[in-house]
Amino acid sequence: MSFIKKLRVKERIGLSKDLLYELIFTKRSLQALGISLVFSFLIIQFSVPQFYVSSTLREAESPTDQQNIVVGGAAQAILGRASANTGGNFESFRSNMHSYALAQRMWDQGWGSRIYGNGDLDAEYFNAIPKNHKIGDKLAAFFLGYDLFKFYSAHDLQSYIQGSFNPSKPLGSSNIIVSTMTPDKDFAITFMNSLIIETDKYAKERLIQKSKEIIVSTYEQLATSKNSSIASALAGTINSEYFKIANLENDMPYHIYIIDPPHSSEYPVTPNIMAIIFSNAIIFFFLSIFISFIQKNKEDLW
Amino acid sequence: MVNEYFDLVTYGGTLNYYLFELANFSALAFLVLILYKLDFININSFIVWIGIFFSPLLINYFIISPWLFGDQFEYAGEVMSLKATGRSIDNIALMNSKYISPITLSVKILGLIPLPNYMTVTSLAFANKLILFITFLWFKRFFSNENEVLLYFLIPSLVLYSSMALRDTVIIVISIVFIINLIRRKYILPVLLLLPLFFLKIQMFAILFVYILSHVIFQAHKSKNLFGLFICAFVASGFIFEENILEILNLYRLAFAAEAFVAFDGSISYNAWNLYGQDDRVTLELNSILEAVFKAILNLPVLLLIPMPWNWSNIFYPLQSIESCLLIYLYFKLSIEKDMFKNNEFILLTFILIVGLSIYALIMANEGTFVRYRFSLYYPFLLALLYLCRQPNNINKLSKKKLPN
Repeated sequence: MSFIKKLRVKERIGLSKDLLYELIFTKRSLQALGISLVFSFLIIQFSVPQFYVSSTLREAESPTDQQNIVVGGAAQAILGRASANTGGNFESFRSNMHSYALAQRMWDQGWGSRIYGNGDLDAEYFNAIPKNHKIGDKLAAFFLGYDLFKFYSAHDLQSYIQGSFNPSKPLGSSNIIVSTMTPDKDFAITFMNSLIIETDKYAKERLIQKSKEIIVSTYEQLATSKNSSIASALAGTINSEYFKIANLENDMPYHIYIIDPPHSSEYPVTPNIMAIIFSNAIIFFFLSIFISFIQKNKEDLW
Repeated sequence: MVNEYFDLVTYGGTLNYYLFELANFSALAFLVLILYKLDFININSFIVWIGIFFSPLLINYFIISPWLFGDQFEYAGEVMSLKATGRSIDNIALMNSKYISPITLSVKILGLIPLPNYMTVTSLAFANKLILFITFLWFKRFFSNENEVLLYFLIPSLVLYSSMALRDTVIIVISIVFIINLIRRKYILPVLLLLPLFFLKIQMFAILFVYILSHVIFQAHKSKNLFGLFICAFVASGFIFEENILEILNLYRLAFAAEAFVAFDGSISYNAWNLYGQDDRVTLELNSILEAVFKAILNLPVLLLIPMPWNWSNIFYPLQSIESCLLIYLYFKLSIEKDMFKNNEFILLTFILIVGLSIYALIMANEGTFVRYRFSLYYPFLLALLYLCRQPNNINKLSKKKLPN
């Protein structure tokens, strides 16, 4: 009984009623809910919907590497050209995707024009798209005496790719996911598709070029070499590099296979309309109660 | 509302972030207002708790970057994933294969709090605040002066750690409930609480397990003779299980040293330790219990006073340094009040606290981490001492009643 007495149930029921009628069931609460709806509507109107665009890729096994070890390993070791493949295909794929060389290739295809200009694929146009600098940047450049870049370049495209397209590899999976958040899903899908294909193509072309260079320099070594075992190892390296070129000069993917081509989420990831409306309703409702409370309890509070 | 895309959108510092978290604040503030109107708390508690509930909005993104305590994203990611899909996030799912991960367990506990939104990294901080508030409501029942209890819930570290999406608040709250119930001779709840504590923080489990053993088996809180018997058993078991104890201590010493390791080339943590830290391994290893005791005695004052001025690297460090001294002062002040140092329960409580702190002193490496660990251990014992001080007659009566002549 003393426990119930301690709870002062009757007294607290009375206080609850007061609380309901004084602070909660008031005209102000209704007004607050109305204002919250207007405020939510404004926030939603000014928010830019962001879609999630992603593509799933699978790391491809590279037969050229295995061949390289079998045939050309010894000579490469002698020539000090053995390449350590520490990060695997994923790391190479990522560094190629974020490289300036790839950005330059994409730029040459006119992607810079689609991002920063009107989409005109004429090189004369997209190499001269003017950059709009902020007034603060212009003032800083004027006072400190340095020049700002007048036109967009492949460096800007590289920054855009690095900032927006992030390849990731989930733990324990051999799949690579390339993803981005964008308000323009159609453009992002097209660009991501081109970016993935171009990254792989660039990797292949770079390796073909590298193999060609190795062949040229190995031939030079072979011409001057008098030791038969070294000559044989060098010949092995040349064979291996020709084999590599033969493997790479086809339309097969090098680093990756595309499992899921780039696609967009059906609904935008952000803004979360329900959460915005719900949160605003709670905030404004509490605010109305709090104002009523302060008005009625000024003396206690001070 | 749950942010099912937390891995894609964290809303960091945006208008939406403040909107979602203000809604969480509003819900908690509304609860405090109701409790004030129903006369459960006084006006001071009302004002202070409104402020405490507002603090998460001021800390993450506003005063500090949440990446300063980067683990928060793992906790937040886990709670969103569990709420949205019922599955853990990838890197935690790998850890969960054998035992439940402490992150999963803590977010399962915190996720039970019915907040309006679990949308950002700070949402869990509001769950932390609410369980702390519930603890306050429960704890203040034992005191006639609510304002005094309120002051102990205003300690800066408590406000800071409970404003983050970390598990420290859960551990602190469990420890407070454990110790107070143990002192009140209500043993069932503490025994049950040992289980979550085992998964949440094994060090805390070990310390409180020794405490419950000393209470239930040795009755060391009842007389100085029984306390002496407990000490003998404690020392004897230290020597009997020397090898196992040293193995565990060395494992933790090396793990914490490796985690805090910075190599000459700028590389850090376990990778750097594996490459360059092997020379330190021998110097860190403890070879006997006596060596462990000696090193613990040497390190204990350092642990109690960290962060030292020469290690201050952010705004919180000087504050925490002052706070360390204040907390030690508070413990001493309460100890000498009403001859509390003669109380058997106090002697046992302080002994367990010193044992716990000594363990932390032995494995101490990274200052930031151990300031947090020290607080999680020290604070529940400080509140327990406050409880003892304000109810000395009841406790003594209980002790006398249960003691045979």
